[in-house]
Amino acid sequence: MIDVQNLTVRYGDTTVLHGVSLAVAEGESFALVGESGSGKSTILKALVGQVDDWQGQMTLAGHALQPGRRADLARQVQMVFQDPYGSLHPRRTVDDTLAEPLAIHGIKGRDARVLAMLDAVGLPRRFRFRLPHQLSGGQRQRVAIARALMLEPRVLLLDEPTSALDVSVQAEILNLLKGLRAEKGLTFLLVTHDLPVVSFLCDRLAVLRAGRVEEAAAVATLRAAGLRSGYGRELLERSGLV
Amino acid sequence: MSLLAVDNLRVTFPSDQGPVEVVRGLSFALGRERLGIVGESGSGKSMTGRAIMGLIGAPARVTADRLEFEGRDLRNLPEREFRKLRGARMSMVLQDPKFSLNPVIRIGDQIAEALEFHTQLSASARRARVLEALEAVRIDDPERVARLYPHEVSGGMGQRVMIAMMVVMQPALMIADEPTSALDVSVRGQVLDIMDDLVRRRGMGLLLISHDLNMVARWCDRILVMYRGQIVEELGAGALNAAQHPYTRGLLASLPKLNEERATLPILDRSALDGFMAGTAR
Repeated sequence: MIDVQNLTVRYGDTTVLHGVSLAVAEGESFALVGESGSGKSTILKALVGQVDDWQGQMTLAGHALQPGRRADLARQVQMVFQDPYGSLHPRRTVDDTLAEPLAIHGIKGRDARVLAMLDAVGLPRRFRFRLPHQLSGGQRQRVAIARALMLEPRVLLLDEPTSALDVSVQAEILNLLKGLRAEKGLTFLLVTHDLPVVSFLCDRLAVLRAGRVEEAAAVATLRAAGLRSGYGRELLERSGLV
Repeated sequence: MSLLAVDNLRVTFPSDQGPVEVVRGLSFALGRERLGIVGESGSGKSMTGRAIMGLIGAPARVTADRLEFEGRDLRNLPEREFRKLRGARMSMVLQDPKFSLNPVIRIGDQIAEALEFHTQLSASARRARVLEALEAVRIDDPERVARLYPHEVSGGMGQRVMIAMMVVMQPALMIADEPTSALDVSVRGQVLDIMDDLVRRRGMGLLLISHDLNMVARWCDRILVMYRGQIVEELGAGALNAAQHPYTRGLLASLPKLNEERATLPILDRSALDGFMAGTAR
């Protein structure tokens, strides 16, 4: 579903990704783990066409991507961002936010689709005409997830989807994501620095450092605290989990 | 005598629906130790820190039966007196160095500001103290860093600068409000280490406010768990698993583990919890 080969990205003189390769099968949930600056978000940006200048090969949902050209893949791939306070338009109601992608793509039956999506992400229907400031952080993240799912994409790119949320709310959103993935057969590419979240939500992971993949492992390896690379072990120790 | 004694602290904000109490009758004492306050957004943990620092202004109201720092009554302490305490005897480290440092003042000058305000030291003596403070937070090259502007340093370095700024006057009490949540996992450990070291060597009292149960449990001598403006439970270091209160237990259960095998995570049942709280109040 996602195939990245030898991806190199430079910003000016700085190389932020050094020939990264990874492949995510359909229906799989894959995590990119690393610290700020390790390049994990850049991979997501490159996949959705927000990075113009890259080298290598990328295939997304069967479409080969071209540098500098933005593929029309909105119906295949959507993204959920870290901060639900920043990612929703403050003066648009939940209904506006959810109906906009449908309007852009000329999809009919907006009313029914918005209501169905509110149900799917566990938001009461009375929230439909509320503005973001009338919602809690967890509710906003539900809206952001709902918006990403409106076009029924096959792939969700999740950039730290729960790190801005309280622990108890994080559990709700993680459950929601896991449920939606099973229900809709979604493929996840998750960026995070939180190893337990990977353990709960993902099948495989790649550890990134300074723009290189240090190690790729199955989640069972992570659960057994068996990451082999020096950096993988360091992450485990620093997370205070070993 | 404890460093800080708080008895029945209340913080109230006016609202259209009448006054809202965000801190509801908090009592605790702090010695020369590391005390953690844990809670989620809206639990009143940050308001508690700010109330102690005298940073809550109108229209909010702060009341307490007792609020004593080094034997001084902080209630109704005039602002002029409070200013002599803040930055000198008690200081606060905030969450995000990006927003807490002045972007157009060199780091060394920012640290020196407290010295300029609180002491009569000469410029060269101030400079020596600044470099000393930077060294104390394990900055290898203090002369160079003192000349930098905040945007030229990383997040972890910025947070160490913040701590240097707080310790340059050698306060007796440090309140750290989420000092590590804006930082990468790898630098968190360093920053906590540095604070720990300062507490031990200089005999400071540390009030660590955070939402991160595990982190606080590892670093503090005692933990207070706050929910809806009240302390629901007090725990000793490392005794997180002995937690009794349904809120604490619920929080712990909802955290994913490294070897997570559960299909769904348990969710905090807030209505049951509020029922429980109503039952135990009075």
